[in-house]
Amino acid sequence: MTNLARIAYVGMTHLGICSAIAAASKGFSTIGFSPEEDLVARLGAGQLPVVEPELDALLRDHRERITFTSDPATLGDCDVIYVAPDIPTDHTGRSDLSPLNVLLDLARKHSRPDAVIVILSQVAPGYTRARAQQGRLLFYQVETLIFGRAVERATKPERFIVGCLDPHQPLPPALARYLEAFGCPILPMRFESAELAKIAINCCLVASVATANTLAGICENIGADWSEIVPALRLDRRIGPYSYLAPGLGISGGNLERDLATMVELGDAHGTDVGVVRAWQANSRFRRDWVLRKLHELVLPAVTDAKLALLGLAYKENTHSTKNSPALALLADVAPFAVTAYDPVVAVNGDWHPRLSGAIDALAAVADADALIIMTPWPQFKDLKPADVAGRLRGKIVIDPFACLDRAACYAAGLSHHTLGV
Amino acid sequence: MLQHHNSDAQAPSRVVILGPNGFVGRRLVAHLNANKTPVLSLGREQVDLTAGNAADKISAELRSDDTLVFLAALTPDKGRGIPPFLDNLKMAAAVCAAIEAKPPAHIVYVSSDAVYPFRSGLVDETSCAEPNDLYAAMHMAREIMIKQSAKAPLAILRPTLIYGADDTHNSYGPNRLRRMARKDGRISLFGDGEETRDHIYIDDVVALIELVIRHRSAGLLNLATGKPVAFSDLARMVASLFPSTVEVNGTPRKNPVTHRAFDVTALLRSFPKFRFTGLEEGLAAAHQQEIV
Repeated sequence: MTNLARIAYVGMTHLGICSAIAAASKGFSTIGFSPEEDLVARLGAGQLPVVEPELDALLRDHRERITFTSDPATLGDCDVIYVAPDIPTDHTGRSDLSPLNVLLDLARKHSRPDAVIVILSQVAPGYTRARAQQGRLLFYQVETLIFGRAVERATKPERFIVGCLDPHQPLPPALARYLEAFGCPILPMRFESAELAKIAINCCLVASVATANTLAGICENIGADWSEIVPALRLDRRIGPYSYLAPGLGISGGNLERDLATMVELGDAHGTDVGVVRAWQANSRFRRDWVLRKLHELVLPAVTDAKLALLGLAYKENTHSTKNSPALALLADVAPFAVTAYDPVVAVNGDWHPRLSGAIDALAAVADADALIIMTPWPQFKDLKPADVAGRLRGKIVIDPFACLDRAACYAAGLSHHTLGV
Repeated sequence: MLQHHNSDAQAPSRVVILGPNGFVGRRLVAHLNANKTPVLSLGREQVDLTAGNAADKISAELRSDDTLVFLAALTPDKGRGIPPFLDNLKMAAAVCAAIEAKPPAHIVYVSSDAVYPFRSGLVDETSCAEPNDLYAAMHMAREIMIKQSAKAPLAILRPTLIYGADDTHNSYGPNRLRRMARKDGRISLFGDGEETRDHIYIDDVVALIELVIRHRSAGLLNLATGKPVAFSDLARMVASLFPSTVEVNGTPRKNPVTHRAFDVTALLRSFPKFRFTGLEEGLAAAHQQEIV
């Protein structure tokens, strides 16, 4: 173990925390650095500020190899230093890179001259080359964290994409040994290619999702069922078994939106057609409001002062993040109506809605409501029995975009079930 | 999307209406009167908006706490050529001069969905306006003129095809189909009536304008139901209103089929409690009002 590189992750937000714990799990002595002393104290006590399946257990199992600190001098002992703060975005998807700039300067200042510095945060093409300095080893590595699947992605990556000043030169031994420990292909390429590769991955995902959403919308109007079509597509080798074909409520979470915004900026700046990207953005906005339109079609015209039950506030299951959450967007659009909400992780916040109350569990939220809306497909919601829902719901309408509840069982219970793609 | 300057609806001090004698104007005045809202109607008899002294006459009437609703326009049935186009701009120029000289508290301009091209697919407030005739260009130009002159919150409303009793226009839509059915006992469609359009009931348009007034809303909003219907289906609905059989006939198609559908999410978001009149209900109401 002593000849293993010593690794540091600078910036203890979602990406840095998950990546640092994954590094420790591979046997590397790891530093988790943040200038925020309170956060470091909580991390040191094993209190993680993020929700990810299996992350707490992974930290517990490898606790002896990871040190959380707010002392930048500890970076001086490290061979490879990842600078990995999450990059905040505004409502248009534009990145705020100032936290990254601060931490990158700090890492350079406190590290050895021969230490390898790797930018792991997502940046636009051109960022890394602009910060390369003579005599310092700087790389960019693509992060492919998926909220709710971060442990799997961090410990069993499909490949590493590494942006280099000169991709024809071998990687520094310390970085190479670290990456090889994960047992996956390593793809060195020039800085700009790696920075764009991240965006390219997300564009391909968005293209699939937008295609699925568009076709699901057609299905809803012509009597087809998208869920019957998806298996046929997955068996097509050109599309593949893991393709993103589940319809949803537009793009959320912040990362994909950022990449689309970056693509539009790049296309406009260089005079390249990015009309398809704008179409994806428009499609996302349109699909995000699917539930609102259903409510106005099925519930609100028929009931005076409707009371709504809302299950799920996080932007997707297995995460605490509400960034661009369709549930929160919906709340803003139904302000005159009383809403009782429940989410397994996200606490109800009165600022989101003037008549919002929280429930202790899913069935409690449903009680006496005129309609049930399931905005986040948490696994717990799939365990709900439609007969139990029907017994508590005052109305009959269930708007369940992700088909958490079994349609046939809903009909058997006398509920009117509405889902994406049907 | 609209921004409400009054988050809770409030009665306006007074509503000044330019164009109170048109299809929308008459209904709006009647509705506001019924709600005991103070109204000042400025029709052609009071102010000829194409006259040289129009701006002075309007500004002499305007108060700083007024809501000004600008409905007056020479509609396509009065001609689609250059003279009505220029007269319409002259009217807007007078209004702009008046609101610059004596700014009201709120301005509502009723434009038209004619500013959108038919090839744009699903239309919402972010859709690109691309006028393809002088009537549409007139509304687009007026929108820009008023935006430039307005010093108060400005709402621009773009209604789609409005139907209802007392409609003076005779464009291809519910009113014309009803008149055909009543006069001839049959309805003649373009092609087989495959085109889809959105038809909004006059009372809904008036109610939405009133909501905009009461919320002192600013921004752009399309007034449409979000429920397009084919002319063939519309014709059948109209035919069913008559006790005797009304034939619905197609004709050889001369122009390609075009569709228009609206994404009305912005409207639902602006007025979550608003309920549209169903098309069949609205057609029946309009029919009943005409035969009484």
